[in-house]
Amino acid sequence: MKSFHFNRRRTIVAIAILVYVSALAFTWLLSTKRAWHQTESMLDYAMLDLNDTLNGSLDTMLLHIAVSILEDLGSAKPISNEDALRILAERRIDELNVLDRTGRNLGSSDSRLIGTSMADTPKSAEFLVLTKGEVRAYSQPFRTGGHNPDVCRKYLGLAFPDGDGFIQVGIDESHVTTMFPSIMGFIFDEWLLGEKGFFLCANIDDGRLISNPARHRDEAHFLEETGYDPNGFNVCEDGKRTFNQRLFGETCNCRAIIFAGHRIIAALPPAEYFRTRTVYTTGLAVLLAIILSLFVVLLCRINADSMRIQAFYASEVEKHAAELELGRTIQMAALPTAFTMNEYCRLAAFIEPAQEVGGDFYDFFSLDETHLAFLVADVSGKGITGALYMMNAKTIIKNVLMATTTYDPAEALSQVNAELCRNNPAEMFVTAWVGVLDIDTGYVSFVNAGHNPPILRHSTGETEWLKARSGCPLGCFENATYKVRDMLLKPGDMIFLYTDGVTEAMNVSGELFGDERLIATLGDGKQLAENAGPSEVCAAVRSSVERFVEKAPQADDLTLLTVQYLCIPERYVRTFPAQDVALVEAPSFVEEKLRAVLCPNKTRGQILIALDEVLSNVVRCSGASGITVSLTFSHARQSLTMAISDDGKPFNPLHVPPPDTTLPPEKRPIGGLGILLLQKTMDKLAYRYVHGCNILTLCKTIVANS
Amino acid sequence: MNINKTTNGSTLTLSLEGRLDTTTSPELETLLDASLDGITELVFDFSGLDYLSSAGLRVLLSAQKRMNKQGSMKLLHVNETVKEVFEITGFSDFLTIE
Repeated sequence: MKSFHFNRRRTIVAIAILVYVSALAFTWLLSTKRAWHQTESMLDYAMLDLNDTLNGSLDTMLLHIAVSILEDLGSAKPISNEDALRILAERRIDELNVLDRTGRNLGSSDSRLIGTSMADTPKSAEFLVLTKGEVRAYSQPFRTGGHNPDVCRKYLGLAFPDGDGFIQVGIDESHVTTMFPSIMGFIFDEWLLGEKGFFLCANIDDGRLISNPARHRDEAHFLEETGYDPNGFNVCEDGKRTFNQRLFGETCNCRAIIFAGHRIIAALPPAEYFRTRTVYTTGLAVLLAIILSLFVVLLCRINADSMRIQAFYASEVEKHAAELELGRTIQMAALPTAFTMNEYCRLAAFIEPAQEVGGDFYDFFSLDETHLAFLVADVSGKGITGALYMMNAKTIIKNVLMATTTYDPAEALSQVNAELCRNNPAEMFVTAWVGVLDIDTGYVSFVNAGHNPPILRHSTGETEWLKARSGCPLGCFENATYKVRDMLLKPGDMIFLYTDGVTEAMNVSGELFGDERLIATLGDGKQLAENAGPSEVCAAVRSSVERFVEKAPQADDLTLLTVQYLCIPERYVRTFPAQDVALVEAPSFVEEKLRAVLCPNKTRGQILIALDEVLSNVVRCSGASGITVSLTFSHARQSLTMAISDDGKPFNPLHVPPPDTTLPPEKRPIGGLGILLLQKTMDKLAYRYVHGCNILTLCKTIVANS
Repeated sequence: MNINKTTNGSTLTLSLEGRLDTTTSPELETLLDASLDGITELVFDFSGLDYLSSAGLRVLLSAQKRMNKQGSMKLLHVNETVKEVFEITGFSDFLTIE
């Protein structure tokens, strides 16, 4: 149990580890995929931001310049080319136009443009928005293809406060390139992409870096020193496509744009783009470890609890089995096993409950010296209920039969039935076959209360059913009566009683053992010798049933009882009046019989002394009217049973205290010596008081004179 | 039961035949009552006695008590059955059996 427990715990831990590893791998894969998405969106935002910032910075710078020029000019008035060029030089811009409210050029740094209209080209027409009074400033990004086709220039327009015309300032990209480090460089220095991402900004022509991350500042001053290959990514440097580039020894996800003669690269090192993956995976690893540990602890606990419950259950089952075993022992102990009742009949029995305890029983007992009661019964139920009812029924049947004065089993069973009906909440009943054998004659009176018919087996080996029935099972109807049946056994005849566990024994194919097989077993000369005894009969039926059933489970209790009547005993009975004449006639009667059986003198003397002691007591003290002396010799006259009965007052001589036989004659009381003699010379003494009679039984072994 | 009575001076010899039981012992008791005066030696010859019961023992006991006062008493030719009775009852302790 313990190793099983251990194995199961190991399984739980193994499963937990498997779940842990799988979950981590899954999360790793998912967050890797997610990292790429995040990298893309991060770089998208970075590029947008960068564009806005660069253009915004230039716009701001141009706006400042435009504002100062606007202040100088005061209103939209024509200015000379010289003035315009002077302002260009002062303000370090590349183009200046003054325009009236219709977009006509009033003055310009480019004399060709004076007098032209902004509405002439679509690009310049965009600035006409300033004439509508809704917007004061308007800017355009760097563009080529204006009136100077080779120049890439950016324009900003600013309306006069009175709304009457506007000025337009322009700056060349090449001009910005030279200004770039001073006006833009600061932007990148502290501009981080996430936590570890960074920007590189380098002059396209010479590759000089104007911005690189603080932590790599000393490593590189030119773009090529960072590991960047400007030739590899020409097509990608549009700010829209991500490419991998090794920078400072790490493979970074990069985007790049060209702006104002500078190459600006946004770079995300692995630490950045896998940052969420690392955070997710580590977080999950910790969280999952805690959850799984709790889970494992809980499961192991539950497992241990279930083991305890299983062990408890097993011990309860064991205890229950032990109690049932004890119940079986008690039940079996209640059944008689002294099969040698006397020399005139012999018995054999067998019982095998289907469960530990059962509802079948047999019983046999002497009602007196000459009457033997025997029975087999089957309670309607097995197991504990059957067993309890069985014990009750057995006790009642025996008590009632023992109390009977008429040896009538029908009368007795009517009483038993009433008793069983009186208190029967479980509505159980019992079928029974009860017989009373008169040993002196072989006469059997019997009652069959709903039980299987027994089989009578003659000494010749012939068999017949005892089909006679007497009434319903016991315990069914309170007023049920039973009819007594009878038969006469000849010496050697036997009655075989059984329960339906025999005839209804089932084999593996579902067939029943049945009546035919049973009677065939008893009548089978090969299996059973003609002179077979009760135990041989029981054994033959048992083995026959076992052979038939083979391996099928036993469904019902199985009980057998065989009673064989051996011989009519040699018995002499005589009754005398309880007067002095009996003291003469009874010893003569006994002596005559003892001489006839060649009883040795000494034994004869002992028996006659005993008789004299008993008779003298009865005649003198009991007040009886008659005395009956019965002599029964055993089968081979090996022993004598002498029963002396009288109808006097109850007196048990065996209860008289023994006299002191060591006293000198002067102190000797007279009395008690007779009982002492009886006790010392007879083999067995028994006293009973039944039906108003004292019955003293004396047994003595006789070894006949040869 | 038959009792043969032989007197030789002060010696009385009683030979018993048959059984000494409830019915016969009163006869012996009566005889002893009538015959023991002046007897100093009482002899019972039991060679013909089949057995005796407690009724016989009672008579022998009273005879023994009386002879203890006026002389002696002995029993001859006691058979096995009778001897066993004396043994069981402790009478062999005080009876003189030859």
